[in-house]
Amino acid sequence: MTTDSTTPQTPEPSLLVRDLHYYYPDGRHALRGVNMTILPGESVALVGPNGAGKSTLLLHLNGLLPGHERPTVHAHGEGRRGKSAADAAIHVWVNGLAVCRRNAPEIRRRVGLLFQDPDDQLFSTSVLEDVAFGPLNLGVHRDEARRLALECLARVDLEGAADRPPHHLSFGERKRVCLAGVLACRPSVLVLDEPTANLDPRGRRKFIQLIKGLPATKFIATHDLEMVLDLCDRTLLLDAGQFVADGTSRDVLGDSEKLQAHGLELPLSLRFETERPVMPLSQ
Amino acid sequence: MRFDAIERHGMHDAPLQRVDARIKLIATLLFVVAVVTTPVGCWRFLMAEGLLLAFLIGLSGVPPQELARRWLGFLLLFGFLTMTVAPSRPERVEYGLGVVALTLLLKDSLAFLGTLLLAHVTPFHKLLRGLRQLGVPLTLVATLQFMYRYLFLLIDALDRMVQARRARTFRRSGRLDWGILTGLIGVLFLRSFERSERVHAAMLSRGWNGTLRTLDESS
Repeated sequence: MTTDSTTPQTPEPSLLVRDLHYYYPDGRHALRGVNMTILPGESVALVGPNGAGKSTLLLHLNGLLPGHERPTVHAHGEGRRGKSAADAAIHVWVNGLAVCRRNAPEIRRRVGLLFQDPDDQLFSTSVLEDVAFGPLNLGVHRDEARRLALECLARVDLEGAADRPPHHLSFGERKRVCLAGVLACRPSVLVLDEPTANLDPRGRRKFIQLIKGLPATKFIATHDLEMVLDLCDRTLLLDAGQFVADGTSRDVLGDSEKLQAHGLELPLSLRFETERPVMPLSQ
Repeated sequence: MRFDAIERHGMHDAPLQRVDARIKLIATLLFVVAVVTTPVGCWRFLMAEGLLLAFLIGLSGVPPQELARRWLGFLLLFGFLTMTVAPSRPERVEYGLGVVALTLLLKDSLAFLGTLLLAHVTPFHKLLRGLRQLGVPLTLVATLQFMYRYLFLLIDALDRMVQARRARTFRRSGRLDWGILTGLIGVLFLRSFERSERVHAAMLSRGWNGTLRTLDESS
């Protein structure tokens, strides 16, 4: 599906992706014509096996790929097409604003991207300083940034950790600090990469509750299908750089054959639901 | 984590720990300059400097054994420096090579221990803030900050890799041979390189545009 690449699309969707292709530097075709529309307030899951292109897609949503910031050499290169990043056609829109180098600051304010490894995101000497990093970059005054950072830390139940160095926090706490850092930029779209990976059950539960309480549009890449059933009304299934399913989470995650064909399996809760009538009481 | 020891003493509530980081930084710098400029043969002056340092170490509550352990770790470097510098010193004629070398070694050690004491009695973030307030360029302070933040991760990663390697090494000696060690260091470098890419991406996604801004009023 191709669209006129220069005319701005309808401003309604929070995220609009049209015919997005991406090649890794080794020539592998990572995204093969991805199309998606996510409406404001929607909570959408992105599921798929490892290497399906989930993270690559997420990095496109706030202009981190393909190498918009560094026109020289980028680790992921500029693809095989031989076009420079600047004059590449636009394929992603956020609230109607085209994702391109010129709009990058505004795009990044609108899209809050939470990385999988909290240590990639936490680089300051104190938690408060880290949460205030985004607002300070957006030109917010110091006092206001401090207030905002404290407020966001309170939202993730970590107001007591403001002065601690990040390496003294537990994994779950670091993850929540990262979320506070993203929230402090007041994004309208939250893009989360594996938010529950490596968390213990309690930390996972807490994090899910936190995400649930946020009003922003959410796009969540994950392997945690139970969380998807809990948080997301809609699920997109990505494999080999293409969407193979798009529907309500219960429909997509209830399709056992399709899930298995694409390296996933039926979530336990749905399995019990479907199997219960014929399940023997005990062996 | 093995760097925690340094931080632990910084958190103590002792007289030296309470002093403003800027004063400690300047005092340390003055001490190092005084030690370095002490001429060979000024034994009294050198002794006074040594006593002052001993007094401060006592005041700080940092166990001397710990400082000594770290000093021993650097002794090889000091020895090497002394060996290369001592023969070229003109005082050699008057005092003899041995005395000159010994003085140099003593001076190196005093300066090193003074700086080490500063690191032990000041939490790193206060040290960085102090540097910033004293007018050290933000880029330099930020580089130090990144180094400190990711040092812990690097050490952790290295420990994990060494452990994984040991788990598959079937020899009695616990020591890794050089070939394996260089491989580990190479992998560690690649991993840090990849991490730096991700950290940079994370910074960009929170609006970083090349200017470092901090909450600190002094910046």
